[in-house]
Amino acid sequence: MSLKKFLNDKLYLIIIFLVIYIVLLLMFLAFKIDKSLILVTSVILFVFIIVILSIEYFRRKDFYTNLLSNIEKLDKAYLVLETINKPNFYDGEILCQALYEVNKSMMEFINSIESQMNDFKEYIEMWIHEVKIPIASLVLMTHNNSSILDKKYEEQIKKLENYVEQVLYYARSENAEKDYLINEVSLNKIISNVALKNKDDLLENKIDLIVLNVEYKIYTDSKWLEFIINQIINNSIKYKRKIRNSYVKIDTHDYEDKIILTIEDNGIGIQPSDIRKVFDKTFTGKNGRIMTKSTGMGLFIAKNLCQKLGHKIEIESTENKYTKVSIIISKNRYYEVLK
Amino acid sequence: MKKILIIEDDEVIRDELASLLQNSGYNSFIIYNFENAINEILEIKPDLVLLDINIPYINGELLLQNLRKKSNVPVIMVTSRNQESDEVLSMSYGADDYITKPYNPNILLLRIAAVLKRTGNNNDILIYKDLDINMQKGIIKREDIEVILTKNEMIIFNYLLTHQNKIVTRDELMTDLWNNNEYINDNALTVNISRLRSKLKSVGYENAIETRKGIGYILS
Repeated sequence: MSLKKFLNDKLYLIIIFLVIYIVLLLMFLAFKIDKSLILVTSVILFVFIIVILSIEYFRRKDFYTNLLSNIEKLDKAYLVLETINKPNFYDGEILCQALYEVNKSMMEFINSIESQMNDFKEYIEMWIHEVKIPIASLVLMTHNNSSILDKKYEEQIKKLENYVEQVLYYARSENAEKDYLINEVSLNKIISNVALKNKDDLLENKIDLIVLNVEYKIYTDSKWLEFIINQIINNSIKYKRKIRNSYVKIDTHDYEDKIILTIEDNGIGIQPSDIRKVFDKTFTGKNGRIMTKSTGMGLFIAKNLCQKLGHKIEIESTENKYTKVSIIISKNRYYEVLK
Repeated sequence: MKKILIIEDDEVIRDELASLLQNSGYNSFIIYNFENAINEILEIKPDLVLLDINIPYINGELLLQNLRKKSNVPVIMVTSRNQESDEVLSMSYGADDYITKPYNPNILLLRIAAVLKRTGNNNDILIYKDLDINMQKGIIKREDIEVILTKNEMIIFNYLLTHQNKIVTRDELMTDLWNNNEYINDNALTVNISRLRSKLKSVGYENAIETRKGIGYILS
């Protein structure tokens, strides 16, 4: 709180005081009152106004300085009321009361939105489980009738399945308190599941899948990690180059405190100007616009899930050469001790 | 023929699943009355149960818990819920495997075969004519001629053997290979089959594997 601005605010008081003082002074002079009395009265009057202004200033200064600095320090500024002392002046009390009411109504609003969101998320989860049943029926029906049905039916159903899966994990990643379960799982099995899921697409596009050393036990949620790797491989398939020896290579690097899982392809790569944005929500970039319809959600969700699981995800690429995604999974001593 | 019991409330899936299993050489049974499921299971005495978690009257997990008190029949849980916690819970109740809808039918069949094999309920001994087959070592032997098969060739031969005299599609073979972490491509499969052919020829079985154009292969 600045003194200058405070005095500026109280300018009217000072002016009235000065006017009264001048009138008083003129009266004193007109009545020819003794000069020493005029001096004493003047000193008293000036001390009086200065004391009043100082008291007013210092009462407010402590309160407002505290308030403003706390607002700055808190990451949730709306909690500031809990951190300050009650003011001992009337307008401060009104301010606090008003803030309290505003906060309360905002909280109620947020709570209602939150519960709406939770309802919506629950509905989405339920809906996804429901929609998977007809999809599962379709998969079985096309398989049982594969002699008369073209392969393209299966491909479309697979696409449907992938999009549904993406919605599910989006709902989970945005709003997950306890949707995941960290467990000791076999990385090999996770890779194997993702590979089987993408087998037809990889073979169809003549992309070789090279899986090197993945015999590790890691701590993660296997369903989530499967989804993450699946998104990355989907991208590799989507953005392959029209060359003869396309591949997707999966490998690991074992360090003392972490395992780095790398998924590398020799596809069209990512433009340098796009690479830092690929994990952003709905970012499609040059590739997404030119090559194929892209929602820009896959990698965003993947990164979100990684963060929740405590993994790190990084990407590097050279246009028309390769793209390499690394997932860094830390080895947790805590779990090892538990065993 | 192995008896497989399907416990599933969605009619379309149930019927399609039944015909998938019939076509793959299993005898499939269906339960219509879920209230009395346990007794029906015990009555039918299946070799394996495919159990959906979301069935009416009784939750699949509960049914499994109750079933385990009375029987050790292999159970594969089938569900559209794909949370890790559901899987862990089901396994802790005594499920032998857990598969999420929508599943790839070929993979479901492989899982069924694997569970049957693991639980020792599979007494189909792999025999091909006078051939001496050592799965573990990857060796086939006839009289004094011994031939070593690679891992891929063994997987293919094993699959053809378990489906003897039936047409096996390339996709089935491919799925089995990938399921065994051998991520080979189409060319490699062709090469592996022709190598397997010539190895079988060298022990005296020429034309053991016939090609059915556009459909697949048959071991006869």
